[in-house]
Amino acid sequence: MSERHHFIKELEDLKLTILNMAALSRQALKNANTAYLERNDTLAQEVIDGDRKINALELEVDAKSLKLLALEQPMAKDLRVILGTMKISNELERIADQAVNIAERTLFLSQYPPLEPVASLERLMETTDQMIDLAINAFLDENADQAIKIRHMDDMADQYTLEILQAMILYMVKSTPATEKRILNTRRSIQTIIISRCLERAADLATNVGEHVAFIVKGINIKHQKVDFKE
Amino acid sequence: MTNTVKFSTRNLNFFYGDFKALEDISFDIKKNEVSALIGPSGCGKSTYLRCLNRMNDLIPGTRVEGAVTLDNEDIYAPNVDVVNLRRRVGMVFQKPNPFPKTIFENVAYGLRVNGVRDKKILKQNVEKSLRQAALWDEVKDRINDSALGLSGGQQQRLCIARALAVEPDVVLMDEPASALDPIATQKIEDLIHELKKNFTIIIVTHSMQQAARVSDITAFFYMGKLIETGDTETIFTRPALKQTEDYITGRFG
Ligand SMILES: Nc1ncnc2c1ncn2[C@@H]1O[C@H](COP(=O)(O)OP(=O)(O)OP(=O)(O)O)[C@@H](O)[C@H]1O
Ligand SMILES: [Mg+2]
Repeated sequence: MSERHHFIKELEDLKLTILNMAALSRQALKNANTAYLERNDTLAQEVIDGDRKINALELEVDAKSLKLLALEQPMAKDLRVILGTMKISNELERIADQAVNIAERTLFLSQYPPLEPVASLERLMETTDQMIDLAINAFLDENADQAIKIRHMDDMADQYTLEILQAMILYMVKSTPATEKRILNTRRSIQTIIISRCLERAADLATNVGEHVAFIVKGINIKHQKVDFKE
Repeated sequence: MTNTVKFSTRNLNFFYGDFKALEDISFDIKKNEVSALIGPSGCGKSTYLRCLNRMNDLIPGTRVEGAVTLDNEDIYAPNVDVVNLRRRVGMVFQKPNPFPKTIFENVAYGLRVNGVRDKKILKQNVEKSLRQAALWDEVKDRINDSALGLSGGQQQRLCIARALAVEPDVVLMDEPASALDPIATQKIEDLIHELKKNFTIIIVTHSMQQAARVSDITAFFYMGKLIETGDTETIFTRPALKQTEDYITGRFG
């Protein structure tokens, strides 16, 4: 039996495409966050424009995977790598979509004076970024145990999102009675809530990536299990 | 589907002279299941298959240790009628090997050997076996033509019909489709799915895809040892051992 050098090389190539995509998606979200914090319209526009590249990579992953499935009839872990890769590329593409969404809110918000800073929002940005970073490294190192760690961080992300919502509600309620200003404050608050919601979504997607990695490595699906899994 | 064990192998060793070709094999094969034996060339798949109907007895200088039971009876016990054992455990080989006789006579052969003389019974059984082997429709109008005029795929199904005619419990197949084109292979695989309703089937194959498609249980052999066995789905999606993984993903040095 041959050692399938060619196939192994193509699998490596597929993984590289995913890593490339992961780097771009993570950077897109980081840039969107920076654009929001620094009220940088140029950077926000870059995020929006850069999404095309990530969409194209997702299609590339699909095409490569389809070809390998059809021509190589992969088995066992090879099969899991390909199925997992297709799912991960889909999550990454959606992370980038969240970045675009944040960038669009940023373009609106930067026209007006900043809201009072909310500490939870920056923490949420930080946590989400760390989760994506962990998920990418889990994929790179084939480390299934990171999935659990990422899932715990996701609980934190959910908590921060709730805190942001509460802060915004408070802000809307206590803001000035003058109607014009009140409408604007409400609009800014809602945009900020949407941003937090995008980050929370991105954190969920990073959690999914961790779960797909666990599937690739161990061949088990931990998606809807609430308990921690052991070796 | 019953869960009765058909063949049970315990601590089987097999020797060609001094060469130990099988080492400490323990394996249960259940009734009405298809078991696939896979592994690199020379790992002992055919040798193991031939232990199950004592075809190895025909090779001088061979020796068996351990136990093989069929329906809980030791097939290596001194009082066993080997001819009867081989009737119960039929075999189909890699290359179709029809006799240079008519299609009818090829299938009737085993029945005649077993003393069936009644023309009507012979005819009935030949038709039944050819139907079971999914060949009847293709040959019913030329049943008295030479079997050698059939295509390779038809010849192989004829050999399966011949094996089925004596109403075995188990059919052993040693790479039954390796000499066939994809369409003939597909027919044999469909046939295996049909046959498992009535028979227990053990198939040796070098095609991972074939093992995955036709079998319920897969057993991986390597260098005379049974390395891993399990549900086919498990073996091909998440085998427990690295050696199995390396073999089925084609990473064998
Ligand atoms: N008649 C024989 N005499 C001596 N050694 C034999 C004989 N038949 C097989 N062997 C040896 O026993 C070992 C197992 O052979 P076997 O034919 O069972 O392998 P296999 O797994 O069926 O291989 P393949 O996939 O090539 O058919 C091999 O090392 C082979 O050389
Ligand atoms: Mg063989």
